[in-house]
Amino acid sequence: MALNVNPLFEQQTSTRKQNDEAKTSSNDNHAVTKRLHKELMTLMMSQETNVSAFPEGENLFKWIGTILGPKDSAYDSLKFKLSLQFPNSYPYTAPIVKFITPCFHPNVDTSGNICLDILKDKWSALYDVRTILLSVQSLLSEPNIDSPLNALAAEKWQKPDEYKIHVIETHKEA
Amino acid sequence: MDENINYKENWTLIKRVFPILDDDCPLHQLEDRLFLKEEFYEAVQFIKKMNLVHQIQKFIIRKIEKRLRDIVAPEFWSYFSNNEQDNKGFQQFYNAVECLYDSYKQLEHSMRKLDIFRQATELEELVNSEKCLNKALKLIFKATLLSQLNLDYQTTVMSFYESALRMEDLDEGYNGQCIICSQESLHCNCMNLFKETNRKLGEMTLLEPLVGQTLTNLIYGYIHSHIQKICKDSFDSSFVSTLEKWLQSVVLNWLRDIYCFDSSTSISDSMGMFEKKLVNFLYNSYTKTRIDQLFNIIIEYPESLPALEDLRLCLPRTDLKPMLTKKLQKAMETRLLHPGVSTPDVLTAYIAAIRSLRVLDPTGLLLEVVTQPVHQYLRSREDTVRCVVSSLTEEGPNDLAEELVRGEAVQVDENTPVDEDTENWETWVPDPIDAVPSTQGKSSVSRRTSDIISMLVNVYGSKELFVNEYRTLLADRLLTQYLCDTEKEIRYLELLKLRFGDSQLHYCEVMLKDIADSKRINQHIKQDPEYTESDIPISAMIVSAQFWPPFKEEKLELHAKLQSQIASYVKGFETLKGSRTLCWKNHLGFVDIELEMADRTLNLSVSPVHATIIMYFQDKSTWELEELSKVMQCPPTVLRRKIGFWQSHGIIVETGQDVFCIQEDLENKDNNLQEDLFVEDYESESAMASAQDQREEELQTFWSYIVGMLMNLDTLPLERIHQMLKMFAFQGPTIECNLQELKVFLDRKVREHHLIYSNGYYKLPK
Repeated sequence: MALNVNPLFEQQTSTRKQNDEAKTSSNDNHAVTKRLHKELMTLMMSQETNVSAFPEGENLFKWIGTILGPKDSAYDSLKFKLSLQFPNSYPYTAPIVKFITPCFHPNVDTSGNICLDILKDKWSALYDVRTILLSVQSLLSEPNIDSPLNALAAEKWQKPDEYKIHVIETHKEA
Repeated sequence: MDENINYKENWTLIKRVFPILDDDCPLHQLEDRLFLKEEFYEAVQFIKKMNLVHQIQKFIIRKIEKRLRDIVAPEFWSYFSNNEQDNKGFQQFYNAVECLYDSYKQLEHSMRKLDIFRQATELEELVNSEKCLNKALKLIFKATLLSQLNLDYQTTVMSFYESALRMEDLDEGYNGQCIICSQESLHCNCMNLFKETNRKLGEMTLLEPLVGQTLTNLIYGYIHSHIQKICKDSFDSSFVSTLEKWLQSVVLNWLRDIYCFDSSTSISDSMGMFEKKLVNFLYNSYTKTRIDQLFNIIIEYPESLPALEDLRLCLPRTDLKPMLTKKLQKAMETRLLHPGVSTPDVLTAYIAAIRSLRVLDPTGLLLEVVTQPVHQYLRSREDTVRCVVSSLTEEGPNDLAEELVRGEAVQVDENTPVDEDTENWETWVPDPIDAVPSTQGKSSVSRRTSDIISMLVNVYGSKELFVNEYRTLLADRLLTQYLCDTEKEIRYLELLKLRFGDSQLHYCEVMLKDIADSKRINQHIKQDPEYTESDIPISAMIVSAQFWPPFKEEKLELHAKLQSQIASYVKGFETLKGSRTLCWKNHLGFVDIELEMADRTLNLSVSPVHATIIMYFQDKSTWELEELSKVMQCPPTVLRRKIGFWQSHGIIVETGQDVFCIQEDLENKDNNLQEDLFVEDYESESAMASAQDQREEELQTFWSYIVGMLMNLDTLPLERIHQMLKMFAFQGPTIECNLQELKVFLDRKVREHHLIYSNGYYKLPK
């Protein structure tokens, strides 16, 4: 490159580069938004009553989900709220899902973090909000005792009556 | 000092010299009193000697004033008091002026004598601060006369001048006769009398003070009535130059004839003033007349173009633009914007208004102001869009269709300021001063360029609405006509595409393609060896549900014979298209049937419902309404209406309560009486779902979103719900819902116990 290049010109090219980057990221963003819009639409039209979710505010990347405890389990007819935070790389990266309502469960810690394989290493872009919520719902009745986040819950799992009392007590804290 | 002065003798002498001082001397004899020159000087000498010069002059003036006050003025005015006879005004005024003039002459004589006296005595004292005695006399004259002004005199003066003016205007008089004296115009002396009167008034400088005002009024009235007369209900020719010529040749000429006698000012001055005044009045009056007629002028556009051109010419010369705006708006409101006018008429008038106001004001400002109420009104009419779209695509001579063919892209005001054309900055003109400062960033350029279709689209502010309406209309036409001449529709579609853009009309394109495809598929299936055609040949119109507007839903179970035929058609289609099938709309379409009755044969093209009814009657000649309704899965009330169609054709009769029977022959004439009762206009029914049905469906979509929202976010106020819907749910082409509508919808849900409303928040019931 010649030595006496107009510095202004150079600056311009570099800013243009930045602009391009911004554009591509916004394009990506657009794709994510589109996907989320679509997921919302299918979810709204699905007439599903057990699980539901909706964007929390103006931000489409942050949703609130609601699941009902599975029938014939300790969680029967209890309502749990979850927060779903979608990364910009969604659906290639899993969303961060947490319980808002306190939940007494072997795989849920006291701050609501969930240990669920499909939200970690087993994530696939084919999953969507609905399947995530359904998975969390089924996790309630079928915990993974081997890798507990809540040791007390794992311990009590064998004693359904005591377990249920704990579940209801914890749920009441909300 | 000589004591032996004979005062009495001298006084008599003075009185003889100045007869005005003699109260016994009648007015008209003042001039006739003769005296000798010596006598005059003797009297002057005496007056000088007695040092009475000032007193005598004062005395003479006083006497003149007294005469005027007591005799001349009352006499003059007495001519005006009894003007019961209509056409005598002319004569009356003439006589009055003549009499006045005589008195004036007498007094003038006395004045002249006083003048000589002044010269003889070298008297310098001014009379009424006038040096010239004649002027002083005129002043006294004027003042005295006007101080005793008669209230009725104007009518007399008016009739005097009016008669004269009419004579002038008609040139040769009225049927060869003088209007004033009804004599042959050749022998008539009226014009001379008229001139003489004016001359006398002029000489006394009473022309302007006495008749000026009346004359002006008269001429104004005359011009006004002349304008009314010539431009009443005729908008197809221009009058400005004719009127100006008329003013010059008739009115101003006549005035010149009158004012040439006015001695107080020069003729060119007074005429110049008059001309300016009258030309201005002419324009004003003409413009006002045209403004009053403007609504009719607009309606008759383009025949009324000359009238509009006139108005455009006149407006800058008058200050009547605000009045025009106001009056036209008012006229529009009272004559156009009420329920008695059909929407197509409103539209026609609106289009005429757009075109004609553009002639009047190329900046489009006037148009914008005047048509604002029309816009608003059209928005409130439900069928506006439909009317616009249908007239756009209608055949035959039609303003909008022509406009469409001209083809320009529609500009919808979307608050985006159009870039001012920098190329032509030299021809740039600022907005008129009365322009409302463009708050919406609407530049004058957009005002000037937007065409009629754009303006109509702007009534609603969105292209989508128009395109959707067109889509529904197109769908309706395609489905009701079947044989459909797609060539024509494609042509229109292309024209519309030029205006509204490709993307907007993509759906319509698919629809037209569906029609063409249907034809091909029909042929294919019929050639299929596996497809057997029974005695009922069918062809299908295959439409893509995604792209067509929703159809009106109606339940109908077709006759078994038809069903089987349809089933075999479906099979044919499935083999042709693989992994696709058909979903039938049983109630849409039409059936060609031939009915062979005992005594007649009928060829009809009817709807599937009607055909199904008659097919069932073919199987069994008597049906109960209830029974048939069950078989056809059609509500009894609807079915009864449909049967009515056959009753009107005399094919089915109601033999008992809710029992219908086929009528093989027409012998029983009584039943034909029912004909009038059941003439059902079945073809006018649209195949499309009504706007209301569609709306309902859209609201149902919103409801799912609202439930989802409230389920997860618990409670929300109305505004938040609206905002969320706007962000996440309004995505389709038309879907939109204003706050008001949403509130009504939510309130309904509250009433139906699907929602709970408290403290301004909505939530779902537990």
